[in-house]
Amino acid sequence: MAEDRYETCSEGSACSQMGSNNKCKHVFDRLCGFAPSWNWNTTTTTTLPPPPSGRRIFHRDVEKEAFQYASSSHCLSSYYSVFVVRLAIMVMLAILIGLLTILTWHFTKIYTTKSLKTLAYDLRYELLQRPILRMWNILNSTAEITTAQVKLSQYVIRRYSNPVNQAEQVELYEAMRAITWALFSSKKALNSITINYKNGFVQAFHRDLKDNNTSYIYSDLSNYSMVANEMNSFSAHQAWNDKAIHGNKSAIWYREPLDPVTGDKIGKAMKIAPEDLINIAGLSQVPDGVASWHVAVSKFTDSPLLSAALPVWDSSNKSIMAVVGVTTALYSVGQLMKELVEMHSGHMYLTSQEGYLLATSTNAPLLTNSTKHPTLKMAVDCENEVIKLGAEWLQRAYGNHSPPSHEVHVENAKLGHQQYYIDSFFLNLKRLPLVGVIIIPRKYIMGQVDERAFKTLVILISASLCILVIGCVCILILTNGVSKEMKLRAALISQLEARRKAEASSNYKSQFLANMSHELRTPMAAVIGLLDILISDDCLTNEQYSTVTQIRKCSTALLRLLNNILDLSKVESGKLVLEDAEFDLGRELEGLVDMFSVQCINHNVETVLDLSDEMPKVVRGDSARVVQIFTNLINNSIKFTPSGHIILRGWCEYPNSCNGSPIFPLEQKKSRCIQKAREKQNANNEKRTTKRDNKVILWFEVDDTGCGIDPSKWDSVFESFEQADPSTTRLHGGTGLGLCIVRNLVNKMGGDIKVVKKEGQGTLMRLCLVLSTPTDVTEQHYALDFTDNSLVVLLALHGNMSRLITSKWLQKNGVCTIEASEWNGLTQVLRELFHARSPVHNNNNFDAHYPVTEGLKSKLLSIQDMKKPVFVIVVDIGLLDLSTDIWKEQLNFLHRYFGRARFVWMLNHDTSNNIKMEIRRKGNVLMVNKPLYKAKMVHILEAVIKERNLELQKRNNMIGPRTTTKEGELHEFLEIDSTHFDAGSSDDSDTSETVGSNPVSVDGDKQIELVARSPASSTYKINNCLVGLTNEHLEDTNNARKEESCQSSPSSSKHAIEESDPKSLSTKEPSQGGDSECGETHRAAGPNNNVVNGKNSLEGLRILLAEDTPVLQRVATIMLEKMGASVVAVGDGQQAVDALHCKLGVDDCRRDSLQKERNMRSQTEILTSPYDLILMDCQMPKMDGYEATKAIRKSEVGTGLHIPIVALTAHAMSCDEAKCLEVGMDAYLTKPIDFKQMVSTILSLTKRKTS
Amino acid sequence: MDVGQMQRQWLDYTRSLFIEGFLDNQFLQLQQLQDENNPEFVVEVVSLFFDDSERLLKDLNFALDQQGVDFKKVDAHVHQLKGSSSSIGAQRVKNACIAFRNFCEEQNVEACLRCLQQVKQEYCLVKNKLETLFRLEQQIVAAGGSIPMMELGF
Repeated sequence: MAEDRYETCSEGSACSQMGSNNKCKHVFDRLCGFAPSWNWNTTTTTTLPPPPSGRRIFHRDVEKEAFQYASSSHCLSSYYSVFVVRLAIMVMLAILIGLLTILTWHFTKIYTTKSLKTLAYDLRYELLQRPILRMWNILNSTAEITTAQVKLSQYVIRRYSNPVNQAEQVELYEAMRAITWALFSSKKALNSITINYKNGFVQAFHRDLKDNNTSYIYSDLSNYSMVANEMNSFSAHQAWNDKAIHGNKSAIWYREPLDPVTGDKIGKAMKIAPEDLINIAGLSQVPDGVASWHVAVSKFTDSPLLSAALPVWDSSNKSIMAVVGVTTALYSVGQLMKELVEMHSGHMYLTSQEGYLLATSTNAPLLTNSTKHPTLKMAVDCENEVIKLGAEWLQRAYGNHSPPSHEVHVENAKLGHQQYYIDSFFLNLKRLPLVGVIIIPRKYIMGQVDERAFKTLVILISASLCILVIGCVCILILTNGVSKEMKLRAALISQLEARRKAEASSNYKSQFLANMSHELRTPMAAVIGLLDILISDDCLTNEQYSTVTQIRKCSTALLRLLNNILDLSKVESGKLVLEDAEFDLGRELEGLVDMFSVQCINHNVETVLDLSDEMPKVVRGDSARVVQIFTNLINNSIKFTPSGHIILRGWCEYPNSCNGSPIFPLEQKKSRCIQKAREKQNANNEKRTTKRDNKVILWFEVDDTGCGIDPSKWDSVFESFEQADPSTTRLHGGTGLGLCIVRNLVNKMGGDIKVVKKEGQGTLMRLCLVLSTPTDVTEQHYALDFTDNSLVVLLALHGNMSRLITSKWLQKNGVCTIEASEWNGLTQVLRELFHARSPVHNNNNFDAHYPVTEGLKSKLLSIQDMKKPVFVIVVDIGLLDLSTDIWKEQLNFLHRYFGRARFVWMLNHDTSNNIKMEIRRKGNVLMVNKPLYKAKMVHILEAVIKERNLELQKRNNMIGPRTTTKEGELHEFLEIDSTHFDAGSSDDSDTSETVGSNPVSVDGDKQIELVARSPASSTYKINNCLVGLTNEHLEDTNNARKEESCQSSPSSSKHAIEESDPKSLSTKEPSQGGDSECGETHRAAGPNNNVVNGKNSLEGLRILLAEDTPVLQRVATIMLEKMGASVVAVGDGQQAVDALHCKLGVDDCRRDSLQKERNMRSQTEILTSPYDLILMDCQMPKMDGYEATKAIRKSEVGTGLHIPIVALTAHAMSCDEAKCLEVGMDAYLTKPIDFKQMVSTILSLTKRKTS
Repeated sequence: MDVGQMQRQWLDYTRSLFIEGFLDNQFLQLQQLQDENNPEFVVEVVSLFFDDSERLLKDLNFALDQQGVDFKKVDAHVHQLKGSSSSIGAQRVKNACIAFRNFCEEQNVEACLRCLQQVKQEYCLVKNKLETLFRLEQQIVAAGGSIPMMELGF
């Protein structure tokens, strides 16, 4: 724990310092209380806001400090709390164990002590009982002997009641002696038996208990006469008594030793002084004639004697004849006590009631040896210390008033230095009450117990101490673990917090970037604009011009970078809202490949598109973002691929294939197709319904043969500003944002992108996108089967990959293919094919010269088996030797086969015009731009089949004049140009769009379908370079279109437009714009081409403008009016709604009358709604744009109308867009209004409607 | 003064306005919108802007003078000002308005007042500049010249 504390201290040193500082300050405050303002400043820096100057930085610092302080103090407090908790747990444990120990010990001890005490009490009682019983015995036996002696004496004395002479007297005495001896010898415990006769004669037997000498003592008979006989009266008796005493002094006593067993004389009688040896009981001892007891003291023994005296009456019971006395030594009681005490230790004594000692367990003398007489001692005077102290203690405790029963039990009387048990018993004998006292040292009984108890206590305490220590250690370990875990958790929490903060800051960063790049774009636009001004200035030198052009390019690059960052941060900050609209995926990708192939041809890189047949044609999603993904990927691949190929593969996977693509009955399909037009009008509603589209997982691979990516960087290349090899930046440029954007977008679309291991050189990126296919769109796969058309396609293409893929695909669809990669191969195959078929020209030399491979041979054989095969020869213009003039010869060579096969020419984008002219001159009309992909191939094959069918028809009908027209048609149709596919993918391709609509001098009835399929079909031979020419054609287009629309019935034209490519919006602009403007349109060229092209494009549209700011209102009005639209401006949302309603009301009445005038342009608009479009400012007084839109949409419910509403907002955030769309607006424009954008938005909306 | 010289001066002046950031391409768009049908379009719109702005500034002054400032109202005014200034391309006024709105959101009266002063200042500046520009134009027209076109295609 100490260690812990130390750690705490060291870790929280900052805080402790702080704390000490604070303390110091506190003290200081106390000291200088008179300077409050100064103190106030110094002490409160951490809490109070600092002075305003330098506020920010200082504040931040303080915050940081405060944060540190908070964290460290938090840390310290947690340490304290841990410490306190530990302490508390330990203390509780200690208390618990202590209590347990003490209780155990206490109860054990109490129980033991109690039982021991009971036992000890019994023991003491028993011990004391025994001497007392002995005493009792002694008394009893003494009494018995005395009684027996008295009875016998009475008998003998009666017999010799009247002795007449001395002899008789002697005889009596002899008889008495014999009786007495008999009794005396029968009781060994007797000390003496005495008989004192009336006449003073004394007979006594005496036993010395110490030396076991027995003697017979008698007084001299001669001294006693018969005088005593006269004294019968009581008074005489008294006199006798006195006489006896006095007489005794004068009498002579003899002592005769006897054999203790037989009683025979063994020695000579010796003369002794009377009463020298023993006490003779006289009359004085039986004063009232009854038996008496008393404790006597003899001169000769040192122990007290118990003597009993009884009178012997004569036969008439009137006078006492003699007195019999029996004495018993109490010595045996003492002996017994000694024995008992020897066994049990302790002390015992018996006292009389008065306190005289009768017997003790010690050898201490019981008698005081005073000079005169030995007398009994008091217990308190006993020489034995313990007995004396005990007696004194008893006397002190009870005084002379001993308890009534005389029984005392004291357990811990302190005598001297020791504890004793003192017990006393009382034996209440008549005339001789006795008190027995036993003193046993406590040590004897409880000593062991105390010792054991002490030992037990010591053991228990030490055991509990051990447990306590172990418990504490355990707690320490446990809490240490817990606190460590808690510390870790705290760290984790703080880490999470930090992470959250970091994420938030990263979010801020993204947001900041988004806002910043948004703001940066404006000045960039200005820079670019100003540069444009500069470029158009005439007075620049060439050098300046080139510099400015360079700057212009750089600025554009910078703007693109800004856009990238904006994209990225939009995605990251979650503001990017993906569009959800149907688009033709295949077409988008084809356009992309077209675009990049131009770039690649310079690099000698082949761009190949390989989409599987089951790919859905139409998917829902954000087409711009999808295109952006592939643009970035392919761009990336091109950058790092110096030579080889780039393949974009695609296939799909239906996650719910079991219920996917429900098959509708054919009729239903058709009706659906018709319904589509109507459904398009309610795009909003449709959106909701198609939410349950079938999800489809689209897999794509971008495969290149570039330098490849190191496997360790496979993941990191998708990070922002990350490049696989930083050194490439110098070489290839780029910021490393491209792939990051790609990954973000792919993830946003619910897909995933990764780099996949590839065999061979290069990189293989695989990504999947989850898009949905609209359910109501019929299956539009290229469900083609050319098998029964017996087509043979000879692919003479330069690029290996594209040739291989195309050939594979064709074979899969039942078309026989032959491949050739260079001119010689082509010629050989041609010869093989055609010379083998025509036996006239069959020349074996060719076989010799050009040995054909086995595969080719078998193919040729199978082709020969075919019935009427149609040959299609796809020739890459690159096969011709264009560097010299040989190509003309080669063309001529090929022309030989013209009649037998259809030639399709693959042109490069930079193929020179005269080559094209030459080819055309030869009658080859099928020309496509590189690259070749599926859709183009399908077009080619369809054209070929159609042509053949027509030929067959022609042959059948044999109608001459039609042939030429057919040729012409085919001529027009078959020059498939694909540039219009670019329209959707690139922003700057508007020029090509306008070119796309070109004259088709067709017979309207029959060729509608053709127009419908390919509105972009044109005589477009030259690419963008020949604007003038294009414009001429444009004029034609307009005329033709107008004618067509006039001629054809409304329904059919409508149909045509409906089916036309929705992307080429501008194609319809000229058709709407009147004839008069056409010339103007064409004349205008240059950078503003786009804008000017759109001039008057809003002709005839009536637009309601709801805008409260007068300036903006005016500006927008003028803008729109310039475009030819008629504008009604209102000041707020309420007015807008009102304006709409009142017009509606008017319209209703006019509708019928106007029904017939449908075709008149000036009137048609009124038919459906008063305005073609509403421009709605979002923030307006009274009723804002959202509310107004809601109101308008509400009023539209049930009428089938849908006026396009375009929002005008000042905030350019996607959330606003979402809000706008949510309330039912169709599009939104940001302020300040961008001219181009506004026009295109309005056009797209009105177009959709009129279609 | 020679007409050509005046035209050059006009061009220089206009460019300086762009470079100094008083105007942006929105103003150019306005100029493009001006044609035979609306020969005085720019002047018209700009004077509209002046009227509108002066009204709004007065309102703002009033709104901010009051005890409890109604920031919603202030915000609406500033928003309008921002809209109209951005429509004629008075960029610096617009930027001042953006800052103003931020403070409005913070409900910071002090900063709002400061911003109002700034907006006023910017407004006066741009007004002066534009008036000078128009005077120049008038001079050119009076001298029989035509206003040179500034072509900007973004």
